[in-house]
Amino acid sequence: MKSDLADGQTLKDIFASGTAWLEKSAPDINAINVFPVPDGDTGTNMVLTMKFALEEAKSNSDNQVSSVAKSLAHGALMGARGNSGVILSQFFRGLARGLGGKTHFNGEDFARALGEASRAAYKGIVNPVEGTILTVLKDASKAAQEAVKDDDDLVVVLEAAVKSAEDSVARTPSLLPVLRDAGVVDAGGQGLYVLLDGALQFLKGESQKMQYRRPHLVVAETELVPKAAQRPTQLEMPHGYCTNFVLEGQNLDLDKIEKGLKKKGQSLIVTGDDTLVRVHIHSFEPGEILKYATKLGKLHEITINNMDDQYAEFIKMQRERMPQVDIAMVTVATGDGFFELLNSLGNIIIVPGGQTMNPSVHELWQAVESAPSDNIILLPNNKNIVSAASQVQSLTSKKLKVIPTRNIPQGIAAFLAFDYDMNLEQNAQVMEKAISKVKAIEVTRAMRGTRLNGLEIKKGQFIAILNDEDLIARADKIRDVILEALGKAGAEKAGIVTVYYGAETKEAEAQGIAQEIRDRYHTEVEVVYGGQPHYDYIVSLE
Amino acid sequence: MVKVVTDSCSDITPQLAQELGITVVPLYVQFGKETYRDNVDLSTEEFYHKLETSKIHPTTSTVTPAEFAKLFTKLAEETKEILTITLSEKFSVTYTAALQGKAMVKKDCRIEVIDSETGAGAQMLLVISAARMAQAGTNLEQIVGWVRRAIPRVHIRMSFDTLEYLRRGGRIGKAQAFLGGVLKVNPIVGVKDGATFPIARFRNRTQAMDFLVNFIKGFSRIEAVAIEDATTPDDLQALAERLKDIVQPEHTYRSKVSPVVGTHVGPHVLAVAVLEAE
Repeated sequence: MKSDLADGQTLKDIFASGTAWLEKSAPDINAINVFPVPDGDTGTNMVLTMKFALEEAKSNSDNQVSSVAKSLAHGALMGARGNSGVILSQFFRGLARGLGGKTHFNGEDFARALGEASRAAYKGIVNPVEGTILTVLKDASKAAQEAVKDDDDLVVVLEAAVKSAEDSVARTPSLLPVLRDAGVVDAGGQGLYVLLDGALQFLKGESQKMQYRRPHLVVAETELVPKAAQRPTQLEMPHGYCTNFVLEGQNLDLDKIEKGLKKKGQSLIVTGDDTLVRVHIHSFEPGEILKYATKLGKLHEITINNMDDQYAEFIKMQRERMPQVDIAMVTVATGDGFFELLNSLGNIIIVPGGQTMNPSVHELWQAVESAPSDNIILLPNNKNIVSAASQVQSLTSKKLKVIPTRNIPQGIAAFLAFDYDMNLEQNAQVMEKAISKVKAIEVTRAMRGTRLNGLEIKKGQFIAILNDEDLIARADKIRDVILEALGKAGAEKAGIVTVYYGAETKEAEAQGIAQEIRDRYHTEVEVVYGGQPHYDYIVSLE
Repeated sequence: MVKVVTDSCSDITPQLAQELGITVVPLYVQFGKETYRDNVDLSTEEFYHKLETSKIHPTTSTVTPAEFAKLFTKLAEETKEILTITLSEKFSVTYTAALQGKAMVKKDCRIEVIDSETGAGAQMLLVISAARMAQAGTNLEQIVGWVRRAIPRVHIRMSFDTLEYLRRGGRIGKAQAFLGGVLKVNPIVGVKDGATFPIARFRNRTQAMDFLVNFIKGFSRIEAVAIEDATTPDDLQALAERLKDIVQPEHTYRSKVSPVVGTHVGPHVLAVAVLEAE
């Protein structure tokens, strides 16, 4: 049979529904993200990435599916947070490619687009690992392509994809041993399944029911608190026109005006009384805004600024203020001690962020653009930020080298190794070499009981993770876990051990532990305040 | 035969200077009211001992134009051609003093004064090659031409424990970018366009020494290398061992950082300089 064709609005709607569904299960997804550290934020990152994608799609008034898909892809790219976010952005990039040139789409188009999405997701990852969101996506797209042979109805195709995704998620622990050890399924895979399931329910007309249900998952005990709330600055995309005016009239209804303008732009502010109202809004079509407002009364003090120009001006001003250098550095860090340390080492732009708050591609891109050089070295300092950092490459016209630093000690080692006498390529080589010589041990408390690397871990125990990968020690006392981890990491052969203590840790305790390290491993030890959240200690060996 | 003159900041050992017929003009080191001629009245061992124990921080001063004039006049009795190679004029007024001294000479003698745009081991390598050319009978014009072409081909890297001495002596230049770090680091500093220039930083001396070795390894065609320490002969020996397979030992000159240079770089400096083949 020939199914009805869906348009761009449908694409927006199904993913809006999927995102709402995903948001409901984000706390559950966060909770099962135990690898490599039980601190999960996969669910949150996926939701935040989706919101960026939808925001962009919403501001696109074109109803062609190819155009909407493009907006989703661009928004997801700009908002991509964390690894799962970046994979999601690749998913949408592939989807947009698959739907390219289409005004409408049916099941056949969607199945083909899912295939493109799967290929794009694999391509975007340097070392694809099976048993993750990638596998789930691949299985779902295969099932969709099988289903379309019998019926090209969009609902039938998506139904097959969702069913297959669910089965695939269930299989992830058998593909990825670390998941099996912890007794969980893959968090990113789970997230993708929920996203597609939410989309399907919209198509089946079950939106009403969704309000009273939860996604098919373990029920969460905690409410979702978006990590974005912790961010130091609220992000806004620098595009469109910043439109301001004062509206004079009679019996003006602020609520009505707000409602009327809400869909026409972002950052809407409506203040005043029933005779005088000030309006501020960011919109692509300021003309539409003014047309709407002139129907209500007289306009005064109209200002319309192109925000792209303003942003370019801002970048230019920043550049003029900072002396241009041959090569500029951009990094990601968290903790006042680390901010001070990095700044003391030289000129560097620091994007706040880290383990539990991955900066978006957009934030990294902004930092790269504002750096006082056309040659940039970017140090992400976190495994989950490395791929987001790589995405900046395609957005900037500057020459950019991303050194894949996976933790702060590697970032510091790379920064120190920076050779003022070398060019960008040579420095990238020197820095990559330098990071291979650093070992980092991160010490934190397990947030839940689990089993990792064959070690039984009780909730609240201290755990030590080597190079963001291997849990190498656990103990009830912090000094024990550090000393044991250092022994396993080869402390007696290290040239220097640096103990960075966190925001919640006392210096006296750090000094005491440093002395024990000296006594036991006969190595030089330096104690430095890092001020980092989450990790009581970060210890580096060089 | 061309007579080659240089200042004591070239760190040439007295033995080598004598062997190659090089006249070394000493700069001065002062501890309070006591004044010493660099490497003449004060050996490097005595100096670094004093530097680390004396409460007074030493200062340095240059050779006067009159002293240069006196020297040139004396040398003019045995030669018609004198070549003087000085420390970078960005570090010291020695170059200017030599030029002024030249103007005061009344004898019939050609005197050329060249700013090496560097110092220590790098200056040493230029002076040694010039002296060897002079011994081989090359005329002044050709030697001057060679030295000017060779200046861009000499490079020096110094490993520091602290940049405090460079800062205090006012010779830190762009390497001040390395000051004030929260972490303990071993900076590497070089000389570029005649002035101090920051190169890289390491967390300990082992890594810094690796850098020095790799720096030399990075050159495909090496004419000569100079290596120097101040108070760490064991480190110098280790460095020499590691360079032995890269540069033939007869092209490797070992020396000590002279007291005048030491005043500004401190007691734990380790330096390598290289002259690339033309």
